[in-house]
Amino acid sequence: MADPTREFFAGLAAQAHTPLLQSESGTLRFDLKEGKRTQRWYVTVRKGDVAVSRKGAAADCVIHAEKALFDGIAAGKVNATAAALRDAVTMDGKVGLFLFFQRLFPGPSGAQGDDRPVAGYAKRRP
Amino acid sequence: MSYELVQVLDGNTFVVSDKCGDIEPSLVDATGLFSFDTRFLSKWVLTVNGERLNALSTDDLQYFETRFFLVPGTGTVYIDAKLSVIRQRAVGNGFHEELTILNHDEKPVDLTVRVEADCDFADLFEVKDALAKKGSYTTRVADGRLVLGYERETYKRETWIEATAPAAIDEHGLTFAAHVEPHGEWTTDLHVITASGGLGFHLDRTKYERNAKKARPIMEHSLEKWVGDAPRLECDWAWLKTTYQRSLVDLAALRFEPVAFPGQSLPAAGLPWFMTMFGRDSIFTSLQTLPFTPELAATTLRALGQRQGTRVDDFREEEPGRILHEMRFGELTAFEERPHSPYYGSADATPLFVVLLDEYERWTGDTKLVRELEYEARAALNWIDEFGDRLGDGYISYQRRNETSGLENQSWKDSWDSISYHDGSLPGFPRATCELQGYAYDAKMRGARLARLVWRDAAFADRLEKEAAALKRRFNRDFWIGDRGFFAVALDADGRQVDSLNSNIGHLLWSGIVDKSKARAVVSHLMGPRLFSGWGVRTLADDEGRFNPIGYHVGTVWPFDNSIIAWGLRRYGYKQEAARIAAAMFDAADFFDGRLPEAFAGYPRELTKYPVQYPTACSPQAWSTGAPLLLVRTMLGLEPIGENLIVDPVLPVGIGHVELLDIPGRWGRIDAFGRGRVDTRKKSLTRQELGILGEYKPTKTR
Repeated sequence: MADPTREFFAGLAAQAHTPLLQSESGTLRFDLKEGKRTQRWYVTVRKGDVAVSRKGAAADCVIHAEKALFDGIAAGKVNATAAALRDAVTMDGKVGLFLFFQRLFPGPSGAQGDDRPVAGYAKRRP
Repeated sequence: MSYELVQVLDGNTFVVSDKCGDIEPSLVDATGLFSFDTRFLSKWVLTVNGERLNALSTDDLQYFETRFFLVPGTGTVYIDAKLSVIRQRAVGNGFHEELTILNHDEKPVDLTVRVEADCDFADLFEVKDALAKKGSYTTRVADGRLVLGYERETYKRETWIEATAPAAIDEHGLTFAAHVEPHGEWTTDLHVITASGGLGFHLDRTKYERNAKKARPIMEHSLEKWVGDAPRLECDWAWLKTTYQRSLVDLAALRFEPVAFPGQSLPAAGLPWFMTMFGRDSIFTSLQTLPFTPELAATTLRALGQRQGTRVDDFREEEPGRILHEMRFGELTAFEERPHSPYYGSADATPLFVVLLDEYERWTGDTKLVRELEYEARAALNWIDEFGDRLGDGYISYQRRNETSGLENQSWKDSWDSISYHDGSLPGFPRATCELQGYAYDAKMRGARLARLVWRDAAFADRLEKEAAALKRRFNRDFWIGDRGFFAVALDADGRQVDSLNSNIGHLLWSGIVDKSKARAVVSHLMGPRLFSGWGVRTLADDEGRFNPIGYHVGTVWPFDNSIIAWGLRRYGYKQEAARIAAAMFDAADFFDGRLPEAFAGYPRELTKYPVQYPTACSPQAWSTGAPLLLVRTMLGLEPIGENLIVDPVLPVGIGHVELLDIPGRWGRIDAFGRGRVDTRKKSLTRQELGILGEYKPTKTR
């Protein structure tokens, strides 16, 4: 069965670096509720370098959401900021870190022109 | 309600009440306690022995603090009151109110003091439309407080109301049994707390408390520090000083702290209904205020960069690299009934973001921020050609993606009829308005400078400069209306010129896209009688089909627009003309106690003798507040060149001298002095130079 959350974090882990977070550092913890169980993901950001794991220690920002809702966010069907405004996603700690992180979520598929390259020549020189 | 309203605010939290301090549900005026675009209190009515109170006076202590002097008994002409009631209110995390009753009699008195409270938790967008709410209300008395609540699915908002004096609390308010000795006083503190506001906000106390000397002066102190940190202006023209001071204080009130950047502030668009981040308004205000309060620009750049578009989303009109138009936090946004989470429908904010980044570096030398925002700046430059150029003809044009709640006009003149042909008809979409092409040109030129200087990417810089030069060539060919001697306000979808004469051509001078050979003709139009009213440059010339002197974008004079035009005139060497615009604006400001409105009517100056204000709910407005500051800059001819600040003053007639002391920048602090001509024979407000209304011949001075 498709698991957009798992795919999203796997994609992030494979990316290893993203310029979208190049000015940010910190650890985010995602607590995703599935019935009585809670699935937990850690993302550590260091100046754009990202590492994903299932285990971790202290987090700067803890994000709580239903796993089903987060699947929607990970698949681009649910907007993370609107979800946070209606308390479907809640945060403890450094809210700003999540507001940076939300840039990584995909947009809704089927939008006009979403096959265009994302920010074409935004490449950092060595 | 026909009486005056009183506003106090702190960031996006504000209270609108009547002059007694009461709040009542009203269809006409939007009163209440608002925070994060949500009403947290829609009723707040004080009675003593069941009677409403009568206002003697209202005292605005600070923009966040007001004192109301009241007496019992309403509607009487003569009042010989034995009681005085004082409410002192300070806004912050809701508000704190000190309620004091003084007994002037020789006998003790026992009073029933009651505060009625209620809340509809309306979204700011709903307030005027009176829409039915979809969620449910809860009210409870618990832990010595009244809790008003609203829930819709996961969405939850709460207002907490507490008092320090013993009170009987019920679901509709608080009742106090007050015993007041002869010539004595009774007092209580009331705390109204916006306890739950979304995005992880949970508050359990107000910012201010009684006698909290530590808490209370923080904002006051920061206001003093704010004014103290800004350059000092000395001048023999009294009302220029008043206007300057007013602008600094209003700017302080307009500061808005973005959620992701605690402790930093950017200019919100206007007070009170637009106390949020706007791409265009925050950028323009930051540009205007750079020589005075450069920290606003830094936060604007960081916050807009952080929310820059990264994906394609038709509902929000988000596109990779696009800078947002407006952010909102209310219920309609939360449930995606409005697209403001954030909404990206602006065609100018993206190139202007790059323009601000470069101007910021020129003043401050802060290359660290330019490096930090390299990705965002490149993505913005990429947006211009990748998404902004909707027709593939090399020009930025706009047509909304969101057909239901998106904005039709995505340039600064955003009302429905703002872009018209000479005959008054309206073009279809997409529309490529002229000033957008100027901004794009300037963004490429400035982006090239940053690429060379900071990002060390000469190839990218070369490419941008080549593109800019090609754009300038094309633009001067395609937009120029040869037989009328000005630039078309837009190209329509067929590439046809939208041939009316608009103030937009002044922005073209500011961007530098105008061929030198065409500048003189453009200046003649800007300062000629069809556009220049004597109080400034009209948005639309008075012989155009759609001209209306009281039409929002089709004939009124906008101070913000004029400040950018004055900057443009300076760029092309028309210093006298820039001074003339400054003089007109400062003359107008004097009629508004130093606070320029959003717009005033486009009647000729000799007709009305004073500037007729355009009715608007928003005052002060950020870019009108910034206009006098930018005009001080253009008057003194302040221009950062390398590590130095160039001062090249041309003052309007009537100003003998202007000193701007301690101008912050990469040079540390520097003073600028300007001397001008004073015509001692004339004392009239309508100065000679502003009265003429014939064809205008520019006087370029180098």
